[in-house]
Amino acid sequence: MSKKTISIYRIILGSLLGMGLLLSGCTDVGELTPPVYKTKLPPEEIRNSAFKEEFPLQYNTYLRNDETQVMTEYNGSVNYNKHNNVDPLPEGYKHAQPYLKNLWLGYPFSYEYRSARGHTYAVEDFLKIDRINRYDEKGGLPNTCWNCKGPKMLEWVKAQGEDFWAKDVNTMRDQLDIKDHTIGCANCHAPDTMELRLYSVPLQDYLKAQGKDFAKLPRNEKRALVCGQCHVEYYFLDKSFGPAKKPKFPWDNGFNPEDMFTYYQNQGECQVKGFEGNFVDWTHPVSKTPMLKAQHPEYETWVNGTHGAAGVVCADCHMAYVRTDDKKKISSHWWTSPLKDPELRACRQCHSDKTPEFLKERVLFTQKRTFDQLLIAQDVSVKAHEAVRLALEYTGEKAPNYEDLVIQAQQMIRKGQFFWDLVSAENSVGFHNPAKALDTLASSQQYSQKAVDLAGEATRFGISKDLAGDIKTIVPPILEHSRKLQQDPEHMKTHQWFKYIPVLPAANQVWDVQKRL
Amino acid sequence: MTVNLKNPKNGSPKLGIWIFGVIIGSILMVGAGVGMQISDRRPFCASCHIMNEAAVTHKISAHAELACNECHAPHNLAEKLPFKAVAGTKDVFFNTFGKIEMPLEAGESTRLVVNANCKTCHHMTNTTVASMDAKGLCTDCHRNVQHMRMKPVSTRSVGDV
Repeated sequence: MSKKTISIYRIILGSLLGMGLLLSGCTDVGELTPPVYKTKLPPEEIRNSAFKEEFPLQYNTYLRNDETQVMTEYNGSVNYNKHNNVDPLPEGYKHAQPYLKNLWLGYPFSYEYRSARGHTYAVEDFLKIDRINRYDEKGGLPNTCWNCKGPKMLEWVKAQGEDFWAKDVNTMRDQLDIKDHTIGCANCHAPDTMELRLYSVPLQDYLKAQGKDFAKLPRNEKRALVCGQCHVEYYFLDKSFGPAKKPKFPWDNGFNPEDMFTYYQNQGECQVKGFEGNFVDWTHPVSKTPMLKAQHPEYETWVNGTHGAAGVVCADCHMAYVRTDDKKKISSHWWTSPLKDPELRACRQCHSDKTPEFLKERVLFTQKRTFDQLLIAQDVSVKAHEAVRLALEYTGEKAPNYEDLVIQAQQMIRKGQFFWDLVSAENSVGFHNPAKALDTLASSQQYSQKAVDLAGEATRFGISKDLAGDIKTIVPPILEHSRKLQQDPEHMKTHQWFKYIPVLPAANQVWDVQKRL
Repeated sequence: MTVNLKNPKNGSPKLGIWIFGVIIGSILMVGAGVGMQISDRRPFCASCHIMNEAAVTHKISAHAELACNECHAPHNLAEKLPFKAVAGTKDVFFNTFGKIEMPLEAGESTRLVVNANCKTCHHMTNTTVASMDAKGLCTDCHRNVQHMRMKPVSTRSVGDV
């Protein structure tokens, strides 16, 4: 073979090799499947900071939950007092409900109830709030309250089992880190695979009773249920119904106010005449009514609302896809109102033919009407307590069935206030389900008014003249009240309803967040 | 060597037939290819007037430069041929003899084919999230990608299909 031939062969061979290399660099895209993760984290990891290194983009959006300034029309990130419509931010806000302290009198919620800050403050704000008694070694509430404060629950429940719940909340006060163990990654994700998972006992119990396996549910349902671990109405079991103080969701009859109210009627140990077997959160001292306290039923409200019925889930609006590095698409972990984004991008993902202004107006249209009716429902509920108080103390001529009528009036107070509270405590001012919110408030107003009517009838309308006029004048809203103030006899003279609760013995603060004083 | 088809004695008759076959075959192939392309595109689809609304809305959409069948038929030729044959025959038959409910609704098989095509082109924007698993179809959220959404309400045949 001549040298020339050899060179030609070399050139050909070289070209082939080059082409081969080029071609081997070309790869087609694979099938589009959900991303799969295998992290370096152990499955039992619960510290939020442990996730930072592997998921820096998501973690950065999570840190935005620290934001405490941005307000929407009816809510926002400043933790103002939700009853204070007198003072400006940060203490009060224009859209506050002035009667909260009246309606929850005798219950820790009357001491302090603030607009919630982001999930990153869950533990800190929980330990600062006056609802837990900081003037005693014991907080006066069960450990169950920790259930929605972070993933530490996984360790505690595993170690202590069903005994955990009924112990005092302060036993765990200094057993966790206020930032690293606040609501975060491990509440919804398995640390080793990042798959969605549940940590919350009551939701696991509910799904089990329904014969459902979370792991096998469609991702769309999971993206709502992980929020439904906490954003629900719940209660703590009376001891004859299971492990004392264990949290449970009242969903056996369904998700609507009437379903839950009916459920509570035979789930407790109450022995008060007319309320036998009722589950009771506390007895309102003014009307002596065994009451229910509702908590943030976002899941139950959303589930059959406009968006819920259409399969749009929590994460679609509250964890919209964003590109924080202008490259990778990620789910935002800043859990907040989509209204904080002036462009309303979360809404416009689907409603892309609408302008942000139009969409915002539509949300406010619902919220304004809901809040207006909420204030009215609140007023009638206060009037109902006052009516029954007057009836209980009435010395004039009474109806022959006076006692029955008063009990019926109290039953209507219980129902009316529970219905009001379901909308009041819910975090969307009606938007998650406009029709249900207004229906619930209309029902609340009717039940509370029925209570007023029955109390009137019981006294042959002898109390009616005392209820004529503006309720704000008859029973003024309680603006100031706290555990400390309840120790002060002078403060206890400032409102006519305070005489129905005891003056507390003077005590100094024992706990400051996690520090024993 | 010259090929003389008329005079077998001057060359191989078999070779002539072969070459003729190749030429005819090539013309047919190119013709089928061109036909396939033409019948994939809007001007062809819009030639039946029931497709008018679909064509108009396509023309004003973000995907206006694409052929109808970039979305409405499988990309893989082996799957595309039978799918297109069935869909095309069905369209011709119902357009000519059938009673057609307006507005046109995509059937289940079309929905799935279109959805697979969304994922093929938009693959790289979704590798880090489980969006394809969050809802059944891409258009469950990206509603405006569907035809009627882009049309002003006053000109739609129904309000909000």
